[in-house]
Amino acid sequence: MSFPILSMLILTPIIGALTLSLSSSAQLKNKTIFLSGLWITIGEFLLSLLLPIFYDKSKNGYQFTEFHTWFDKFDINYYVGVDGVSIPLILLTTFLIPICLLCSINSIQNRAKEFVIYFLLLESFIIGVFVSIDLVIFYVFFEAVLIPMFLIIGIWGGENRLYATFKFFLYTLAGSVLMLLAIIYIISNVKSGNIELISDFTFDQQIELILFLCFFASFAVKVPMFPFHTWLPDAHVQAPTSGSVILAGVLLKLGAYGFIRLSLPFFEYASIYFQPMIFALSCVAIVYTSIVALRQLDMKKMIAYSSVAHMGFVTIGIFTLTQDGINGAYFQMISHGIVSAALFLIVGVVYERHHTRMISDYSGVTNVMPKYSFFFMIFMLSSVGLPGTSGFVGEFLVIMSTISVSVYLTFFTAIGVILGASYMLLLYKNINFGDLKSDIKQLTDLTKIEIFYFSCLAFLTMLLGIYPKLLFEMINKSISLSII
Amino acid sequence: MINLYQFIPEIFILSLILITLCFGLFNKDRAISLNTLGFFLLSILLLNFGKDFYSSTKLSFNTINLFVLSKIILSIGSIVFILLLKRPLKNENLYRYEYVLFILFAILGSFVLISSNNFLTAFIGLELQSLSLYLMAAFNTKNLSSNEAGIKYFSLGALSSGFLLFGISMIYYDTGSFNIQNLNNFTAISEIGLSLVLISLFFKVSAAPFHIWTPDVYEGSPTISTLFFATLPKFASLIFLFRVYQELNISDIKSLNYIFQMVCAISLLVGVYGAITQKVIKRLLAFSSINHIGFMLLGIMSYQFMSEGTLFFYLIIYMITTFGIFAVLLNLRNVDGEFTKISQLNGLRYTSNSKSITLLVFFFSLAGIPPFAGFFAKFFILSASINDGFIFLSIIAVLSSVIAAFYYLTIIKNMFFNKSEIELLDDNNKISKVIFIASGLIITLFFIYPDPLINLVDNLFK
Repeated sequence: MSFPILSMLILTPIIGALTLSLSSSAQLKNKTIFLSGLWITIGEFLLSLLLPIFYDKSKNGYQFTEFHTWFDKFDINYYVGVDGVSIPLILLTTFLIPICLLCSINSIQNRAKEFVIYFLLLESFIIGVFVSIDLVIFYVFFEAVLIPMFLIIGIWGGENRLYATFKFFLYTLAGSVLMLLAIIYIISNVKSGNIELISDFTFDQQIELILFLCFFASFAVKVPMFPFHTWLPDAHVQAPTSGSVILAGVLLKLGAYGFIRLSLPFFEYASIYFQPMIFALSCVAIVYTSIVALRQLDMKKMIAYSSVAHMGFVTIGIFTLTQDGINGAYFQMISHGIVSAALFLIVGVVYERHHTRMISDYSGVTNVMPKYSFFFMIFMLSSVGLPGTSGFVGEFLVIMSTISVSVYLTFFTAIGVILGASYMLLLYKNINFGDLKSDIKQLTDLTKIEIFYFSCLAFLTMLLGIYPKLLFEMINKSISLSII
Repeated sequence: MINLYQFIPEIFILSLILITLCFGLFNKDRAISLNTLGFFLLSILLLNFGKDFYSSTKLSFNTINLFVLSKIILSIGSIVFILLLKRPLKNENLYRYEYVLFILFAILGSFVLISSNNFLTAFIGLELQSLSLYLMAAFNTKNLSSNEAGIKYFSLGALSSGFLLFGISMIYYDTGSFNIQNLNNFTAISEIGLSLVLISLFFKVSAAPFHIWTPDVYEGSPTISTLFFATLPKFASLIFLFRVYQELNISDIKSLNYIFQMVCAISLLVGVYGAITQKVIKRLLAFSSINHIGFMLLGIMSYQFMSEGTLFFYLIIYMITTFGIFAVLLNLRNVDGEFTKISQLNGLRYTSNSKSITLLVFFFSLAGIPPFAGFFAKFFILSASINDGFIFLSIIAVLSSVIAAFYYLTIIKNMFFNKSEIELLDDNNKISKVIFIASGLIITLFFIYPDPLINLVDNLFK
């Protein structure tokens, strides 16, 4: 038996959380707690780096698989494995979690131990979602993610946090339970929860449509797609910076990942049948939320709406059902994971210093925080989709693939790009340029820790923008298998 | 000649009652702890020789297993309950050995009820059980609301017993037999009779719309009695309801099946809508139990797929959770007596680590959020019901559990997000601490190692 690396990935944070929770909190300083959490997550990141190194890109199917029987009677097994689609997302997760902890060392003062524990649990649950190839454990992890997130927003959030966290939890749960029914129905028909086996199974067409809608309800809330997106701005605005980072960086990707991993291979007929609906919803998402973002007064809310718009590109790309489209959508997912996380960190930096998120309270920041403006510009341009940054590749591929489907679609997505540029540039201009306000003067520039994580993120954005092949090599083969 | 061999569990409890009755006059502490030992012996006896007791009867293998397993569960539950009751009763100045006698009578009634093949025996068992429960509700005689709860419970319970007797007599009039098993070629009169029997049983398990007594009785009774109402007798009545459903093939009788489905749907919805606005934690738990009864009725209806396993699993997990929650609640006290309001849980996170975290686990488990055991319980029930074609009811069930998540989250919100106003006193009751931590661990670790519980339920039905 080979080294159980995936189980290790899931268990390491849980074990870390357990050890932390058993230690007496009275004696530990906040900083020690954060540092220990940081070491655990950095170890986890190094461990996850083994995956791309030992992953054999020439082979089909899942690798590093582990199989243990779990519920014999229902044919539900603990079955984990990774392929090209899951590895980059796992890396993204393990990369962002240490940054989340780093950025909260100063801002989280009370109940630091709990904070670190919840983040560790969150990490292992998210990794669990990405590695599971059995529907039931997929669902278990998919839902379990809600618990630490609910607590993170609820305990350390802003003034209206209760409303936001309840909305987040109940919205997501309501979507997921329908998926649960669909999963049960599938398992009772296929007699197995194994994703590969279910992909080979063909359902009755009418039933397939219903099953697709059940899965859609869950993933569309998670992505979020247009009519189901209202929880996102609330959750983002009220969450602490680190919560927003992980929410925008990874949790939104769970929905898109679900589309690629489950919806497409399971419901081939339904994916084509519902293509127009999803395109319509995504177009509305792109154009409408971009316009909404344009009028926001709150920085976080603006970036939250921009997330909805960017995820609209992802869903369009996925449902073009072409290699280019899904590749582009996937690239957009990873890129958005890095860039929006970085943008929320950017907001967090000034919020921590000035305690307001209103755009009108800032102006001329570049005079006192030049390094800050520099990093802000990189991420802003990447979010806009400037060539040379990671944002460009994804958007370009998605727009290119839409031409083969419909020119109208191309038109609307292109409008989205323009609107995206306008609100991001507006945000940048209002905050960084203009007259220096008197109360801005005492703001200090980035600390060394902040420079460190911003440069990591900026490096990754540039790297993916200049050399996208790095990612495409990994995902090409796996994605070509999930296309009909 | 009646074969007394099959009555050994009942005879055992009866002798336990007599011993306690005599012994309690001299030393109530010993008399009570004697019962722990007694039930321990009984559960070992049942575990090892349970199946032999019934080997002389003509019952089917599955039914025998049903008897044995449910009696084992009842005995184990009684052990835990008797261990738990001392401190809360002392706090209320109610520590008398008669209380244990009521429990014993109720358990005896439950045993009779579970293994009865005859409507009249079932009636006797049910009455024996209920009468002890009425007394337990009114046990705090100096407290007005406890008296009120007892009288309410008694008058409504008597009404439902009347329904039961009337139903039984109608069945007897029609078929000339009290037997549950050989009841066939009946006419509409029997169907009416059976529906009356069902209504009475629905009343006992507090399924909506026969649930009106539940919140008041739960709230008024001493908390320790509430715990008892919520677990063991309800378990026994559900098992009997299950047997009636199975033996009479109610799934084939259209009218009764319709009643069953309606009651299931109404319980699911009334439970959640009633609970949303509750401010008193025991009332909230009462309504939440109605919602869970809906799930159990769904499990009863869809027994064909997974046999009794799903229902049993749900019941076991639900009872463990309920024991855990009440063990925590019993451990917390207000300055002037038992605490009642949900808002008094505010800021529990700051005062007690273990209690707040276990309560978090229990409420997430009740809401059916993975990875806790409650999720798997609901998952199995839903798998069974979807396999048996109850798709519409399953959709109602899952949507109701989303609404249910709201009020469970509200409690968690109070504990974790709010600051405390009045500090609750910690009772420092070691036994209840052990109980809630143990049940919390079972609920959490089931996810990692499900085999023991699953096997327990599974093997007994193979």
